[in-house]
Amino acid sequence: MSALANEERRIVGFLCNWCSYGGADTAGVARANQPTDLRIIRVPCSGRVNPLFVVKALLNGADGVLVSGCHPRDCHYGSGNFYARRRLEVLKRFLPILGIDPQRFSYTWVSASEGSRWQQVVTRFTEEIHALEPAPRFEDVEPLEKALTLTQEKHRPLGVGKQDWLAKLKEAISDKLADLDCVLGWQQGRDLLHSVPLFIQSADDLQKLRCDATCHNNLVRYLPDFKGRKVGIIVRGCEAKSLVQLLQEGIINREELVIFALPCQGLLDLPLVEEALGRYQKLEGLEITDSALKLRVDGKDVTLATADYLQSRCLSCPNDTPVLADYPIGEFTGESATTAQCPELAFLDSLSLTERLGFWRACLSRCILCHACRNSCPMCVCRDQCIAESREPHWQSAKASVKEKFFFQIIHALHLAGRCTGCGQCQANCPMGIPIFALRAHLNRVISELFDGYQAGLDPKAVPPLLTYAQEEANIQERSWE
Amino acid sequence: MRIGVFVCHCGSNIGGTVDCAQVAAQAALYPDVVYATDPMYTCAEPGQAAIEAAIHEHQLDGVVVASCSPRMHEPTFRKTVERAGLNPYMFEMANIREHVSWIGRDIAANTHKAAELVRLAVEKLRQNSPLRSQEFPITRRVLIIGGGVAGIQAALDCAEGGIPVVLVEREATIGGKMAKLDKTFPTVDCSACILGPKMVDVAQHPKISLYAHAEIEEISGYVGNFTVKIRKRATYVDWDKCTGCGTCTEKCPSKTSYDHFNEGIAKTTAITIAFPQAIPKKAVINKDFCRQLSGKKCGVCAKVCPTQAIDFAMEDTFVTENVGSIVVATGYDLMDWTVYGQYGHGRYPDVITSLAYERLMNASGPTQGHIVRPSDGKEPKSVVFVQCVGSRDPAIGRPYCSGFCCMYTAKQAILTKDHLPDSQSYVFYMDIRAPGKMYDEFTRRAQEEYGTQYIRGRVSQIFPDGLGQMTVLGMDTLLGRPVEIKADLVVLAVGIEASKGARELAEKLRISYDAYGFFLESHVKLKPVETNTAGVFLAGVCQGAKDIPASVAQGSAAAAKVLTLFAKETLASNPQIAQVVLKRCIGCGKCLRCCPYGAIKSSQVRGEEKAEVIATMCQGCGLCTATCPQGAIQLAHATDNQILAEVDTLCQL
Repeated sequence: MSALANEERRIVGFLCNWCSYGGADTAGVARANQPTDLRIIRVPCSGRVNPLFVVKALLNGADGVLVSGCHPRDCHYGSGNFYARRRLEVLKRFLPILGIDPQRFSYTWVSASEGSRWQQVVTRFTEEIHALEPAPRFEDVEPLEKALTLTQEKHRPLGVGKQDWLAKLKEAISDKLADLDCVLGWQQGRDLLHSVPLFIQSADDLQKLRCDATCHNNLVRYLPDFKGRKVGIIVRGCEAKSLVQLLQEGIINREELVIFALPCQGLLDLPLVEEALGRYQKLEGLEITDSALKLRVDGKDVTLATADYLQSRCLSCPNDTPVLADYPIGEFTGESATTAQCPELAFLDSLSLTERLGFWRACLSRCILCHACRNSCPMCVCRDQCIAESREPHWQSAKASVKEKFFFQIIHALHLAGRCTGCGQCQANCPMGIPIFALRAHLNRVISELFDGYQAGLDPKAVPPLLTYAQEEANIQERSWE
Repeated sequence: MRIGVFVCHCGSNIGGTVDCAQVAAQAALYPDVVYATDPMYTCAEPGQAAIEAAIHEHQLDGVVVASCSPRMHEPTFRKTVERAGLNPYMFEMANIREHVSWIGRDIAANTHKAAELVRLAVEKLRQNSPLRSQEFPITRRVLIIGGGVAGIQAALDCAEGGIPVVLVEREATIGGKMAKLDKTFPTVDCSACILGPKMVDVAQHPKISLYAHAEIEEISGYVGNFTVKIRKRATYVDWDKCTGCGTCTEKCPSKTSYDHFNEGIAKTTAITIAFPQAIPKKAVINKDFCRQLSGKKCGVCAKVCPTQAIDFAMEDTFVTENVGSIVVATGYDLMDWTVYGQYGHGRYPDVITSLAYERLMNASGPTQGHIVRPSDGKEPKSVVFVQCVGSRDPAIGRPYCSGFCCMYTAKQAILTKDHLPDSQSYVFYMDIRAPGKMYDEFTRRAQEEYGTQYIRGRVSQIFPDGLGQMTVLGMDTLLGRPVEIKADLVVLAVGIEASKGARELAEKLRISYDAYGFFLESHVKLKPVETNTAGVFLAGVCQGAKDIPASVAQGSAAAAKVLTLFAKETLASNPQIAQVVLKRCIGCGKCLRCCPYGAIKSSQVRGEEKAEVIATMCQGCGLCTATCPQGAIQLAHATDNQILAEVDTLCQL
């Protein structure tokens, strides 16, 4: 630890070369006295500052991080700071859900001529950081072993178990099959309760098709692998959004797709059902209706209330209608009047910052780094090039520490900012039942707040908010340092 | 790697508040550091020689200098290590002067901080790789924005140096503020007589193309290859046909148009030629006053024009020019002095600005050079000059000195006596600032030979006395008593401000400006005409207050910079640019979408879509690197790994 540990706090500054670094130089030339805590990292542009640098510093024990660039419209590179402003504002609003005090991070604009402004900024920020406790070391945070208390509300009739349209679906697929390389659907997995993807290429394959509350794989995840081939895909509401998002990003081509759309009836939360059943040898029967799950397990009949075993996000999902469809099949109930709320998020909101950090520390100590969250995410298009497993760049160490696991979740979440369509695959596929979807749900909330209700996956022609900017941001209040 | 660290004392600049020897001793313990020392002056010739010697002696393959800001001496030391055979990019700086020694006096804290900054530089250097520039062709043409005396000088010097010039002037004529002046200090020679020939040279020079009545719409590109879109504002007169005969201006029935050139002391016609020596000498219609363009019936000018040059349907047009360099010479405007209620908010006709007074004295002005009161046309007997109106006045946010008002006020006092031998002039001043060659002698002449009464103090109030004169109340701070003067005419030396639209232009040029809108030079002393945007230079008052000799000198200096830049056929590109790691790129195109320069294109590599950086267009901002989720595009010299190394180091120290 530093020799001045008791007097100084660790404050990291990222300054753009052209304006703020120059402003800091101007302050120096003017002999403008400043606190000594800040260590400046010179970057060409505030747009170069990946928000993950900031999180990395804060997670590794920095007490404060300050980013400073050219004033808006004054960027040496024209627009770098406009992008930075959006990304850094999203970051600032993201930090609290992690349990990091957002006061530890600030961004501002200082021009090369504003030596005295720089002096004020440094002095003020350093004082504010000193007013806080030293940043807690992640390793020292008390793990909060707290079960999620989820209050679930059902917003629209789900109609679980209805199957009257299955024949129609099969007919529609059968009509198109000859023109397609394959059609992506589901089939039964190891038992009645489990489904796996089905790649339909023949009439025989089609007979295996299954579409019910057990089919929780988001098939859109496989679409990028089929680029260049014409394929069909079965989607429900949330999956259609993922598809639209990939179209928007140019990862897949619309003309190569035939979309069969179904009304969503909600999906079972399989870990919950499995927990209720305990260990079993054989599952002989499964009947799903809106009110009850009737199972025959090892010769015994078990009946569960369906509503208690559905994924929370399905209960709160406001709309079952796919945004994009070539062949809509079945009856759609449309939009519910109530706004959706993620119950995991409501739970986290009720915790204090320290509790949240402890909660994540406890949760992620269970993480086995299987990366199922990433591998099932339809937006994780980087695949083998994920920075979690690379040395160039070397974002993550090979240490399987809880902090690294947490950082991986942060990488995943921030890479999804403005792109996550909320399909919940990350959490549904987590074998350890870690409620990681909350991080994405919170970011979606932030994006929506900042960018006038923007939701990913609704419009194939929209520009993702973090890949564009506005000269005047309606919802970003820049702080004044005067 | 074998790293050498040089911790500069910079005399007592750093050594005074940082224990440099201790920093060097600590640096010697850092990973890969094999040599560390603390020279007195690292940038001086012996200091640089010592770096070269150390590189040879200790087989260094990387050097860290801890001294002043890299914005100051990074290029210097890069050359030093290059001379010793290293790649110039195997070098890092730690800024322990501007960011440490000059901003705190606590030696222990400073030394600790300096050592950590050196550690950061070492960690970054350990991840550096040698970089090499590419050569790219340049467009050897220059754009000059503003046709005042500074812009004219820059244009003529560039053109004489063989460089084609595109000169863009916002007004209908070049000449700027100088064209309005009667005489110039300290020689009292006629402004038109010395500027006029230069303006004619501009018009006649085969290498200068002039766009008057035009503005800059858009600028894109980078040093060597800028693309400029110019808006030619509608003049409603076809300048190819207009001969400047002036018949239209004689016949125009709308004679109440505000006369910009004469600073509003007279009215003019809706169709005008600014002044007889205008370049280009072409007519322009002021559409706010033109009857035809206001929807009434008129069209007199179109009827009398012998060449049928009038075109009421004319609209703004755009031209695009490609240039390799830009000189900005947009000059200044007078601040809005009507904020001063004590001087009458501009309500009294006999309280005028000094620039309006120039037009009154000027033989080509509306009064043919007869000094008369705007209110009643009588010759004034008593003229009061008030200095520093809107200069050196923090109360209205203008603490700066406008620089040349002391001198022109002395000149105007002298000329007033020449024109009206019976008159008496009074000058209220704060300090007489006359530091130029022959300047102080000149202000003394105004007092001693021409009998001008200089009163040290500010004017508190100006109001009409009801008997046809103005009462000027002020304070004589030397005598310590109030003064009251009856004046027939009051001339305000109104302070200057950055030209209207200067900030917007700066944003288009991507150059900085100070709190008052004056453009920021790259270094206040050593790079007074350069900006932080390569290839963009400054001339004249747009950079800060200066008089004609200084503006002309800076115009020539900017031209010299342009000629230096264009002395080569090609430029070396900045090698600190983005590089695509092909195997990591998945061709998602996020980098393409946000690159501010369009410097990334999509290309096919073995059937797969990949990003490709166009090396000569990339300016090295690193936005793509921060955008790419796979980290597949890395900005050389600011890679993720380099910044991560700095972050990790800081958090572990």
